[in-house]
Amino acid sequence: MRPFHPQFILEVLPQLVLYLPVTAAIVVGTVFFGSLFGILLAAGRIRRGRAGRILANLYIYVIRCVPSIVLLFLVYYGLPELLNTFGVNINDAGKGFFVITTFSLLFAASMAEVFRSAYEAVDKGQREAAVSVGMTEFQAFYRIILPQCIRVAIPNFTNALVNLMKEGSLAYTIGLIDIMGKGQLIIGQNHGSYSLEVYLALFVLYWVLTILIEKGAGLSEQRLAPDRNRRGGLSKCS
Amino acid sequence: MQLNTQFMWETFLDVLQGIPVTLKIVVVTLLVSSPLGFLMAVSKSGEGRIGRRIIVAYVSVIRGTPVVLQILFLYSLLPTVLNYLIKEVLGSSYNIFNLDPIFYAYVVFILNTTAVLSEVFRSALSTVNRGQMEAALSIGMSRPQAYVRIIMPQALVAALPNICNTTVNLLKSTSLAFMMTVKDITAIAKIDASFGYNYLEAYLVIFVVYIFLCSAVQGVFHLTEQGVAVYKKPVVS
Repeated sequence: MRPFHPQFILEVLPQLVLYLPVTAAIVVGTVFFGSLFGILLAAGRIRRGRAGRILANLYIYVIRCVPSIVLLFLVYYGLPELLNTFGVNINDAGKGFFVITTFSLLFAASMAEVFRSAYEAVDKGQREAAVSVGMTEFQAFYRIILPQCIRVAIPNFTNALVNLMKEGSLAYTIGLIDIMGKGQLIIGQNHGSYSLEVYLALFVLYWVLTILIEKGAGLSEQRLAPDRNRRGGLSKCS
Repeated sequence: MQLNTQFMWETFLDVLQGIPVTLKIVVVTLLVSSPLGFLMAVSKSGEGRIGRRIIVAYVSVIRGTPVVLQILFLYSLLPTVLNYLIKEVLGSSYNIFNLDPIFYAYVVFILNTTAVLSEVFRSALSTVNRGQMEAALSIGMSRPQAYVRIIMPQALVAALPNICNTTVNLLKSTSLAFMMTVKDITAIAKIDASFGYNYLEAYLVIFVVYIFLCSAVQGVFHLTEQGVAVYKKPVVS
């Protein structure tokens, strides 16, 4: 039986926590670029144009079918060569660049679905009513449609975010040092021993992160719930 | 940029041999996980409080941590523990390190998929009206009978799209089995690529293979959905 040192978990946790900002940066960067691309995809599916819809659907279908690790390696080995043919040299780009590119490509597909279902969940009459009381198209979207969309989108967005954070742990396979990568380094420094302790510490970290994200989402959903304000208003009327 | 098409074709032929391994992991996992997940879903809505707590914690941990981490953890834990159990406790001389690593892949993916499926089944069961169970019991069916004949056929219609999703995700996660030295599609591509640093070509090949496999899985589920939803169609008199 291999030796097991529970106290090493506590020793290793602070070292891993130091690399949380890297993990967070990957997630934040991906959410930013992935959402931008996701909006384009969702627009392609909602708009009338046939070509846009077919392209967006095809992209989402392909991405849904491809394991993240395959896409990560494809981007890591393929993107520099592809851009090289156009005369762009990104061989000096950091690992983070490839990780954020890969996960943005993946995240955009799930975000497109989140945006589309949120947009379709809001009644068409809302926009018409807003425009009919004299709002501009932009005002109607920003003040009436968007707040409702956000509330509908929160559960799906949370799911996508948690998945992104978990898949992000694959970044260590191309050598990025986030919490997972640091864990592997620590195991390496100890010549392969303490692996169980390090993995357990990582379990704790990822689990806590997931719970925090879900709790945060639950709170913001509550805050955005319309019933809270409306009930007071209604009772005044009656 | 130029691609070595000769190499790609050879890799494609090699990778074909990995497809049965990948599918074997998917099928075995689903066959074991489905009944386990269903039992969990049923007992989650049952009375036992301690049992429910354990299930909730299990599902939360599994769904809150990356699959890679679960693979690495179990693959460094299981062999030594099993070796200890077999040598010291059972006193057998069987060498656990000769065991086909695919068994570790089964364990990891079964643990993972069971947690996901238990949630899928729970939400599917909640779509079936409570009165259905009461009605079935009131005409003298036993609880298992009611589940098999009344509840499950209805719940399955709601569950199938999610089961399809779970299967697709499972298929994708099996690409991580190479970390346990299982020779699946990804592992074979990696090995082929490492001889001449043809990583780009090798990953392009399995990119296409995974799209093909995933389409096949979705096709199968699409057909099943049509078969299962039979009772929803209007009766032609």
